[in-house]
Amino acid sequence: MAITHYLKPYVAWVTGWWRNNHQASSVWRLTRLYTGLLMLVVGILLWVLYQLSVGQLGRSQTLQLNQLQQQQQVLAEELSQADFIRQFEQQAEQSRQFIMAYSDNHTTYGRLATIPKRVTACPQIARFPVYNYNEIRLFSGCVQSLNNGRLLVATDDEALFDLREQFIQASVAALALALALGLITGWFFSAQVLRRVNSINEIALKVEAGELSARVPLSKRNDEFDHMATHINKMLLQVEHSFDAITGVTDAIAHDLRTPLGRLRLRLEQAQLDAKKQHVTSEQLSSMLAELDGILATFTAMLELTRLEQQQQKANFKQLDLANIAEDAIELIQPLAQQRNQVLNVEIKQACKLLGDATLLFRAIYNLLENASKYAGEQSQIKLTVNATGFSLSDNGPGIPESETDKVFQRLYRLESSRNSPGYGLGLPLVRAIIRLHEGEVKLQSNQPGLTVLVNFGE
Amino acid sequence: MRILVIEDDLTTQQFLQRALTEQGYQVDVASDGQDGLFLALEHNYQLLVLDRMLPKLDGLTVLSTLRNANKTLPVLILSALDSVDERVKGLREGGDDYLVKPFALAELLVRIEILLQRQRGQAEPQSNKLQVADLSMDLLARQVWRGQQEIVLQPKEFKLLRYLMEHAGQVVTRTLLFEAVWDYDFDPQTNVIDVHVARLRKKVELDGHNPLLETVRGVGYRMVAK
Repeated sequence: MAITHYLKPYVAWVTGWWRNNHQASSVWRLTRLYTGLLMLVVGILLWVLYQLSVGQLGRSQTLQLNQLQQQQQVLAEELSQADFIRQFEQQAEQSRQFIMAYSDNHTTYGRLATIPKRVTACPQIARFPVYNYNEIRLFSGCVQSLNNGRLLVATDDEALFDLREQFIQASVAALALALALGLITGWFFSAQVLRRVNSINEIALKVEAGELSARVPLSKRNDEFDHMATHINKMLLQVEHSFDAITGVTDAIAHDLRTPLGRLRLRLEQAQLDAKKQHVTSEQLSSMLAELDGILATFTAMLELTRLEQQQQKANFKQLDLANIAEDAIELIQPLAQQRNQVLNVEIKQACKLLGDATLLFRAIYNLLENASKYAGEQSQIKLTVNATGFSLSDNGPGIPESETDKVFQRLYRLESSRNSPGYGLGLPLVRAIIRLHEGEVKLQSNQPGLTVLVNFGE
Repeated sequence: MRILVIEDDLTTQQFLQRALTEQGYQVDVASDGQDGLFLALEHNYQLLVLDRMLPKLDGLTVLSTLRNANKTLPVLILSALDSVDERVKGLREGGDDYLVKPFALAELLVRIEILLQRQRGQAEPQSNKLQVADLSMDLLARQVWRGQQEIVLQPKEFKLLRYLMEHAGQVVTRTLLFEAVWDYDFDPQTNVIDVHVARLRKKVELDGHNPLLETVRGVGYRMVAK
C-alpha cells in the first residue's frame, strides 16, 4: 500500500503527460498508429514464418513418431516376442533421429535405461525430461502399451528447442527493430507532414494577430499542401485587398468629406455672425443646402455602390437593347457638349441585346459621357460606338496616365488634375459596378491622344 | 385638403406637419403602421405620406391593406431604401410616387401638389391640345405654336415642354422633369436638366412675347398659369 501511495504522483504525472501529448500533437498520434500497424504486420509475418518452419518441423516429428509407434505395433503383432525384441533392439540401435525404448516387466530394451513414468499415451506427444549419463535432456514423445510392456518413441527435443529459441530471439529482435524503425520513420514522416500544417497554422496565427501580409511558404513539390497553401495565399491576398480597400475608403471618406463639411461649417459660422447684425440671406442658405446635398449624394452613391457590388439588383433585369439606351444618354448630354463646343458622334454598328437594368445601364453610359465631356475639354471630339457585345467611348482630350488607369476605379480616387473640379470620385467605380453586375468588363485604353473606354459584355 | 402623414421618426414627422400646415393643408400624423392604417381607414384623406419602414405594421402592408379596402387616395412613399427594387415594390403595391430619404422639402411639396392635381384632373376630359397664354401644343400633330409662329422642337424638347405645360402654374423639380422626359428614375445630380431647359427656353421665349417659363430658385421651374 505504501508503495502504491508513493508511486501515485508519478503515475499521475506520466498519464497526464501522455494525455497532454496525446491531445497536443497529432505527430505523436500518427507515429503511434503507424508503429502499431508496422508491428502488427511484422508480427503476422513472424507468426506465419514460425508456423512454416518450427511449427511444421514439430508437426512432422509428431507424425513420424506416431508412424514409428504404429509400425512397431504391427511388428509386435506379427512377430514372436523374441523376434520382435531382436528387431526392435536393432532398429533402436540404428535410428539416429528417434529414441525408442521398450520395456516388458523385467527388462528395458533400446536406448534408455528405463522408461519414465509420467509420459503421455500415444498419439498425444508431450515433453518430458530424461536423466541420461548425468545430464538432463528434454525429449518429446509418447508411450504405447504393447504385448504386456510399454513402448516409448521419442525424439530429442533439444534441436527443435534451440531452433525455437533462436526463432523467438530473432523475432523479438525483429519486432524491436520494427518498433524503433516505426517510431523513427513514423515520427519523421508525420513531422514532415505536420510541419507544413503547422506552418499554415503559424501563418493563420500571424494573420489573426493582424499581420495580413503573411503568406504560407510554398515548396517545390506542388503537392496537395502546396495547392492548399496557394488557395490560402490567394484568399489572404483577397482579404488584404478588401481590407486595404476598406481602410482606403474610410480614410478617403474622412478626408474627402471633411472638406465640404468644413466649408459648410464656415458658411454656417458666417451665417451665425450675420444673423446677429442683419438677416441671413436666402443665397447664403441655398449655398449651404447645395453643399449639404453634395455630401448626401456622396453617401447615397456609396451605399448604392456597395449594393451594386453585392449584386443585389438583378431582380429587375429585362431584355433590352443597349443602342436605345445609348441614344437616350446621348440626347441627355448633347446640350452640355454643345455648350463646350464638343463634337459628339454616335455610331450604332449593331444592336446590342442583353438582359439588364435599363436605368443602371443608362447611368453607366451617361456617367461615362459626362466624364468624357467634362475632362476632354473645349472643342474636343467624343465618339460613342455600339456593337453587338458592348460599346466603346473615345475622346481626344488629355486622357489618363497609364499608371492611373486602375486607380480611377477605386472609390473616392481622384486624379491630381481633377482635384479641383466638382465630384467625389464615385462615378467610375459606379460604372464598373454596374457593368460587372451585367457580367461585363470595363477597360481604359489610351486613344493617343485621349482616352478610350471599352465596355464588353462578352458571351 | 386633408393629408395624413405616417412617419415614425418624430423629428421628420413634426417637420413635415409644420411644413405642410404652412402650405395650407390640414395634417394628421401617426407614428406607427397600426395607428396610421386606422386613421386612413376611418377618415377621408386626400393624400397619404407613408414611410416605408414603420413599427408594428410595415408601410407596404399598410398600403396594400388600404388598396384592398378600395381606398384610392394618392400615396407618396418615403423611404431610406433606395434601390430600383424597392421603388418597383412600392409602386407595385399601389404607391403613386416614391421619394428617397434624405429628401428636399421643396421636392416633397412639389410632388404632393402634383399628386393632388392629378387626382383632381382625373375627372376632366383629356384634350389633344394644350394652351398656356399664346403658347399652344397639338399633341396629335406634334406641333407647337407661339402665337402665329411655329416652333420646331426635337422629341425630347417636345416632351419637356409638354410636361411643363401640363403642370402649368405648378412648380416642377429637375428630378421630376428628368423622370418624365427620360423615363429613367434616378437623380442625374448635375445641371444637365438646366441646360436642356435653357435650350428649350431659347426656342420658346420669343422677343415681343411675355416670358412663360420661370426659374424657381433652388427648386425647379414653373410654367405660368393658363
